[in-house]
Amino acid sequence: MTKYPRKKSPLADRTEQTASKITRRDLLKAAGAAGAAALIPTSLKGASSAATPILDGAVQGSAAMPPGAPLINLTARETEILAAMVDRLIPSDELGIGALEADALGYIDRTLSENGPDSVESYRTGLAALDRYSEYTRGARFIELSERDQDSALIDVQTGGASGAGVGFVGGSGSFFNMVKSHTWQGTFGDPHYGGNREFAGWDLIDYPGVRMRVTEEDQEQLEAEELEPERRSAYELAMFRAGRPR
Amino acid sequence: MRARRPIYLCAALLAVGSVMELSAQTPSTFIVESPTMQTGEMMPRKYSPDGPNLSPPLTWRGLPAETRQIAVICQDHGAGNPPPWVHWIIYNIPGNATGLPEGIPFESTDPMPREITGATHGNNGWGLSMYRGPAPPRNSVHHYHFAVFALNTELDLPPGLTRNELLEAIDGHVIGEGHMMPIYERQPADQDTIPSNSIHGSWND
Repeated sequence: MTKYPRKKSPLADRTEQTASKITRRDLLKAAGAAGAAALIPTSLKGASSAATPILDGAVQGSAAMPPGAPLINLTARETEILAAMVDRLIPSDELGIGALEADALGYIDRTLSENGPDSVESYRTGLAALDRYSEYTRGARFIELSERDQDSALIDVQTGGASGAGVGFVGGSGSFFNMVKSHTWQGTFGDPHYGGNREFAGWDLIDYPGVRMRVTEEDQEQLEAEELEPERRSAYELAMFRAGRPR
Repeated sequence: MRARRPIYLCAALLAVGSVMELSAQTPSTFIVESPTMQTGEMMPRKYSPDGPNLSPPLTWRGLPAETRQIAVICQDHGAGNPPPWVHWIIYNIPGNATGLPEGIPFESTDPMPREITGATHGNNGWGLSMYRGPAPPRNSVHHYHFAVFALNTELDLPPGLTRNELLEAIDGHVIGEGHMMPIYERQPADQDTIPSNSIHGSWND
């Protein structure tokens, strides 16, 4: 089983805040809490029945794929690069788990299965370009770079600087960055029904209290006192949502 | 195509002039140099996203004796809507500093080099508090204007200022200026050629 490296210094913090006074948890709370429960990827809304058993596995809080398991849609080499990138977007640190522990990789793999060959090709092309870009600009494959150089390379990819470097990004490198970032966030903070957010780790990271049909005054008081016990269940464990669950 | 070059140079020089007008005083001029760059010459690849995107080293001399603080802006007057597109803003630099070393940390949590302790980054055109080097459209040459301002007072400016915010904050305190303007053309991995200094193509960052 592959053990992906654990790293610090979240890229997401640096690239999305301007004042650098915000903690990672604050940032993730702000960005993730609002949509955590309702974060239903469009790619999975029409999921095929064949995919349902996998999704059901995730509902029960035990994602079907163990950490580090090979991905269906990407090679081992591509998976290594993707894992390193995802790890820099939401790394584990003293505040909690990162995207890898939340099984964002598994979520991305499922999403690629649902989206089809074009989406897979976008990933394969982008990951190969990222690796070539790292070698051309920093002299080593992406997974071999220091965390600092990985972040630096990703900033260039995010800001479009890697476009035009002749390494194979199709369109703007920022599009590839944003695609992976979006899937990483969905796989970390989305409803576990869709895979990812393993054992509700993403929700714990942002102190999301879970899916609740009603919030009493006492609940609200406990929430404000940070004493509210989180609801650890998918929305699709609720009867009213179960009827409309993706097939 | 070459005929366009003087027009852009004029535009850039006019922009320099407009920056020089921000102080009510008439600022003196001083020398800005770099051990690795020269005005009108190609910037090394390592200072761009065709390389590791390090911030370039700068040195300056001949600043007014009353200089208490220094600020630096790197901007492309041929890009942005409206121009200029800002690549780098760094200020709160101690008045006794003689330059900026190469490769200033881009992480806000990393300390600045000892010789520029207290310096802080403003927000560039991408909204990032760091240096981001030139990456103009392929087959076009852009000019990168490094403007250095000597200030007559110590301003404890907060991090993350935009160019306009910085210029407003230092207005009235600029007692000297120095400039240099190297150029850059993309050096892509799939082109085994030495970039020429010819001017063609559109302008970007």
